[in-house]
Amino acid sequence: MSTLWAASVRHLLRHPAQLALALLGLALGVATIIAVDIATASSGRAFELSMEAVNGAATHEVHGGPAGIDEALYVRLKKSGLAVALAPVVEGYVDVGRRETLQLVGIDPIADADVRGESRITAAPSPSPSNEGAETASSQVGGIEAVTRWLTEPGAAVMAASTASRLGIPVNGSFQVGVGGEVHEATLIGTLGSESAGYDTLLLADIAQAQEWLGLHGRLTRIDVRVSSGAEGDRELKLLQASLPPGTSIQTAQSRTQQSLDMTAAFTTNLQAMSLLALLVGIFLIFSAVSFAVVQRRRIIGVLRALGVTRARVMMMILSEALLLGAVGSLLGLALGTFIGRELVALVSRTINDLYFVVAVNEVVVPGFTIAKAVAAGIGAALVAAAVPAIEVANSAPSLGLRRSVVEQRAVHASRWLLGVSAGLAVAAGVIVWLSDRSLLAGFVALFLLLLTVSAITPAVLRGLALLASRVAGRFSPIARLAAGDVAASLSRTGVAVAALGLAIAAMIGVSIMVGSFRESLRDHLAQTIRADFYITAPGAGFGRPERRIDPDVLRDILAVHGIAEHTESRRVTVDSARGPVRVDALRMDAKSRDALAIIEGDKSTLWAAFEKGAVIVSEPLAWHMRLGVGDRIPLHTASGEREFEVAAIYREYGNDRGSLLMNRAVYSRLWEDDAVTGMGIYLKEGADPDAAAAAIREAVAGRQSLAMTSSGQIRTISMRIFERTFVITRVLYWLTAGVAAIGLVSALLAWELERSRELAIVRALGLTPRGAGALIEAQTGFMGLVAFLAAIPAGVLTAVLLITVINRRAFGWVIEFHFTTQQFVNAFAVAMIAALAAGIYPAWRMARAPLASDIREE
Amino acid sequence: MMRALVVMASKLLRSVHRGARESAFEQRVPGAGQRAPGRTRSASGSGRHAAPGSSWRGMQWPACWLLALLCGCNPGAPSRSDASKTDAEAVVSNAPTEADRLTALRENSHLPEFERVLAPRAFDFPRDHGPHPTFRHEWWYFTGHLDASTGEPFGFELTFFRFGLKPQAAIESRPNASSWRANQIYMAHFAVTDLERERFHVAERFSRDALGLAGASANPFRVALDDWSLEAAPSPSTWRLVAADGSYSLELQLDADSPMMLNGDAGFSRKSSVEGAASYYYSMPRMSARGTLTRDGKTFDVQGKVWLDREWGSGALTGDQQGWDWFALQLEDGSALMFYALRTRDSKRDPHSAGTWLASDGTTRPLANDDVSIEVQSHWTSPRHVRYPAKWRLRVRSLNLDVEIEPRLADQELNTSTRYWEGACLVKGTRDGREIAGKAYVELVGYAPAR
Repeated sequence: MSTLWAASVRHLLRHPAQLALALLGLALGVATIIAVDIATASSGRAFELSMEAVNGAATHEVHGGPAGIDEALYVRLKKSGLAVALAPVVEGYVDVGRRETLQLVGIDPIADADVRGESRITAAPSPSPSNEGAETASSQVGGIEAVTRWLTEPGAAVMAASTASRLGIPVNGSFQVGVGGEVHEATLIGTLGSESAGYDTLLLADIAQAQEWLGLHGRLTRIDVRVSSGAEGDRELKLLQASLPPGTSIQTAQSRTQQSLDMTAAFTTNLQAMSLLALLVGIFLIFSAVSFAVVQRRRIIGVLRALGVTRARVMMMILSEALLLGAVGSLLGLALGTFIGRELVALVSRTINDLYFVVAVNEVVVPGFTIAKAVAAGIGAALVAAAVPAIEVANSAPSLGLRRSVVEQRAVHASRWLLGVSAGLAVAAGVIVWLSDRSLLAGFVALFLLLLTVSAITPAVLRGLALLASRVAGRFSPIARLAAGDVAASLSRTGVAVAALGLAIAAMIGVSIMVGSFRESLRDHLAQTIRADFYITAPGAGFGRPERRIDPDVLRDILAVHGIAEHTESRRVTVDSARGPVRVDALRMDAKSRDALAIIEGDKSTLWAAFEKGAVIVSEPLAWHMRLGVGDRIPLHTASGEREFEVAAIYREYGNDRGSLLMNRAVYSRLWEDDAVTGMGIYLKEGADPDAAAAAIREAVAGRQSLAMTSSGQIRTISMRIFERTFVITRVLYWLTAGVAAIGLVSALLAWELERSRELAIVRALGLTPRGAGALIEAQTGFMGLVAFLAAIPAGVLTAVLLITVINRRAFGWVIEFHFTTQQFVNAFAVAMIAALAAGIYPAWRMARAPLASDIREE
Repeated sequence: MMRALVVMASKLLRSVHRGARESAFEQRVPGAGQRAPGRTRSASGSGRHAAPGSSWRGMQWPACWLLALLCGCNPGAPSRSDASKTDAEAVVSNAPTEADRLTALRENSHLPEFERVLAPRAFDFPRDHGPHPTFRHEWWYFTGHLDASTGEPFGFELTFFRFGLKPQAAIESRPNASSWRANQIYMAHFAVTDLERERFHVAERFSRDALGLAGASANPFRVALDDWSLEAAPSPSTWRLVAADGSYSLELQLDADSPMMLNGDAGFSRKSSVEGAASYYYSMPRMSARGTLTRDGKTFDVQGKVWLDREWGSGALTGDQQGWDWFALQLEDGSALMFYALRTRDSKRDPHSAGTWLASDGTTRPLANDDVSIEVQSHWTSPRHVRYPAKWRLRVRSLNLDVEIEPRLADQELNTSTRYWEGACLVKGTRDGREIAGKAYVELVGYAPAR
């Protein structure tokens, strides 16, 4: 037994390059999984932390509609003698410093401490002639002075010490708070000592201050509630529920956080699927590495078997090696993945900020489950990859073990057999898509089956093409015949490497067709729908924030500008429904904006009359997620309780993967008691000068509210930019996958080269120059890259079809038109060739320098 | 009464230490009462404010302390039974030097915008029952002994404190101001001494003076915090007192036409020789009360005599003052006596200690420090390891009064943001050689180590 182990260890150590490549491939695969998990978990955790910092120990929250809660409700509850702890909160987003968005949380420190069990009030001594100087800047005062400053000083606010230093605001320094285009003066009266990352983007102020800054007089964003646990708590909760008016609802604090995190579910699923793809490619890599290690030792294994070592022992040895390899590779992957994950966090959180909610990730979270999952995947992959060669060698008769040709014969058989398998896999993928109606998971399973199909078919294609090439090219050059024939003859090596490369290239083609199609669909859509001459919005973060509204007086003055033909007014909010939160765009529309809407289902002749009366128009994603059709009814929580709204039409929109709902603004204002306007679209009269109109509008607004005015061209550009940012991660992931495949190719080529070193030495002895030998190898790898690319074309197109019609549809509800461009294929071809040729450089270099005599003498 | 100045101010400071201590305490017993209910801190309930582990660290700024008091940051007051060892250790390790705090207090209390109590003034009732927002602090302090028709005896304390952050005059009325803007904070304590069950229930609340959450007005006369209130109703001569917490609720009608005593120099009560360390101070020692007290859903008809202490000012304790013992005696013959014994830091009686005697015919006379001798006859140590005097012999030679005062229940310690003892007591002794009995409330402040 010890001989066996010694043989094993020595072998691995004698081929360090090979060992390193196998480890690197495995590590990259594992790393990708970990990186994606870290990035998504960190974003999610950052969001949870900020929610925690905001509502702390609250067990429940009382919410109203988009306009918040009447503060009188809080007073009434507080004086009704309920045994629950209640704390009013006024929240919004404000801009501080150089375009940094902070979450302003206005609290009543007394009630807040009651719910949280701790006070968040803090202040430094006020600056005064008697205590000026540096030593007061860092100290905190207690007692009445802190409360006095907090409650009575205009503009008093508090933030985490780290935030303050990031923004360069000293204690007792003043700064500006921008809210929906208006600027207010603030003073940093103290800093929070809390180290919790959740406080990083928080600006705390008294509730009165928050109401004034946000213009939310008389309104609360929510009421935090803490009830006892157990039966007592249930009783308290029932009493509280009974005291709530219609239009308000109470839910657990976690469910609120969860709802927001759920929004990103489809997004993170897609990322995780991409990371699995990298591991899948990694498996090929390990397979080629392990099987090569086995093949190299065929002779010694044959000898050992002949000497009486049992099959089980041989298998044990090979599998143990794989296990060790898997473990070490996984550990390396863990380290590498943590590193890549840190970089990926920025990309992921930026996408989440663009698409879902405001989050600042300052802490990288490595979930324990992720580590377990990735290590298990790494070790599992190594074992699976090793199982095939292990069984093969163990089952060989000892004498056959000495003959490599047997292996190649088997590979040829296997490639034929795999043809059948690939047909089966393709059929299975089709059946899964056909049978599963909406499951995203099933979609991904089908996608993976499809990609496996590519891998399964590649060896046979490679062999066929290689034989063909050898026959055709052989007429012109024996060396070319040799090169091509060799590829076909060494299928056990070349087949796996090409399959892995093909897989990566197929995924690449599929993803780039999908992204390209999406991009074109979005571009067309924007061109059709963004038609107003200007769009005017109150700036700020968070689309549904009530503080983002255009001052009614300002709005009136804008409309008085000469040359305006039509305009739209919109208010974007999120309202609750029995089926989760729904984004509502309350719109006042004129003829032109109605024309611009891409109605894809519904009767346009009756639509607008119904819309005036309260019917709604839902976007494709919303229709998909909530299974709505024209004529269905959707229930929403209005200020006066739940109401049903008829769906009059479905429209196309790519702005939001959770979907949105269009409602007549007049209907919305009445039912939700909210007449704010978040944005406007301005359509100029025929022949009006846009520059003059823009200047006139700016003048009308000047000094009152800094509104963002954008042209439709700018909106389209911004939309496209966000779109591109969204897919940066996708691109990063498929480059990682291609990287894994390229490494696989290098390792396979090295293995192959070692195996045929004697052959090649003989050819060189017969007159092939070192350069010729290098060229021979480069020609072979180039040929393999070409085959990988060819095999990947149909699979890539099928992948794109699956991504567009199944995955995207199921994950987001978007319907995308196909757009193929040659560029997509040219890029894939370039990647395949570059990967293949680059992979050939080192083996070619070695080959050219190989000492002929010893190689020939070997046997 | 005098607790006024002192208490308010010193409460603020003490609370500071308490906030920190209790955070630490809670930290060591995670899970105890996490998510427990309670919007009031009640001594009979278990700890209710367990801070979430991650965030309480942020609380160590001294500033939080302030709020501890003012904002009820005080995490769960441990119940009587669980005053643990941890508690004791914390007390010891946290005892700061009194001098530091008092120095700080004196500095902080120089808020020149507030009106100061410098000379006697003419009182104007009912106007002066209402708030005096140009002064920094003020309270309405009710204590009383009640007897249920079933014979069950109860004691209660209900106090409303007003604390001005800025004097009314200094408030700039800003356009566009939120209705949450406030310049006053209210605090209230509600305690029931359930003698039959030997239970003492305490609750403490805070609120800002905004939106009707808390506040006071002279006309109509009303003082309220959440659903606890004092108001002139149904007529100006009848006051209604309402409070409820946990399993106890109280509703009393008080006769506002009862005798009144203006303490000190016609209501100008000096606490030290320092200028401004004084308050305006009057008492209504014998208000007839009737109403209901509810315990665990069972309602008792109750009646008894209630003592009201009213005090306002802008000053605070001076550096050498440690605390005080306050005695409010209601004697069976219709007389009443109030005396506050200020204690110095070296446990001597401060010569500014003083009192008032209300004779049964309604006449009053002031009592100077030398008029009253008080001898502590025994001590009691609270579950929180605070040692209080627990039985007194009080003699007033000029009145020929010699009585013993003894608590009706030993444990009447209020484990609120400022920890103090205030309890129902019985009085027994002689007046002019004849046997006399009565009831009393005694307040002991400055015994608990600063929190």
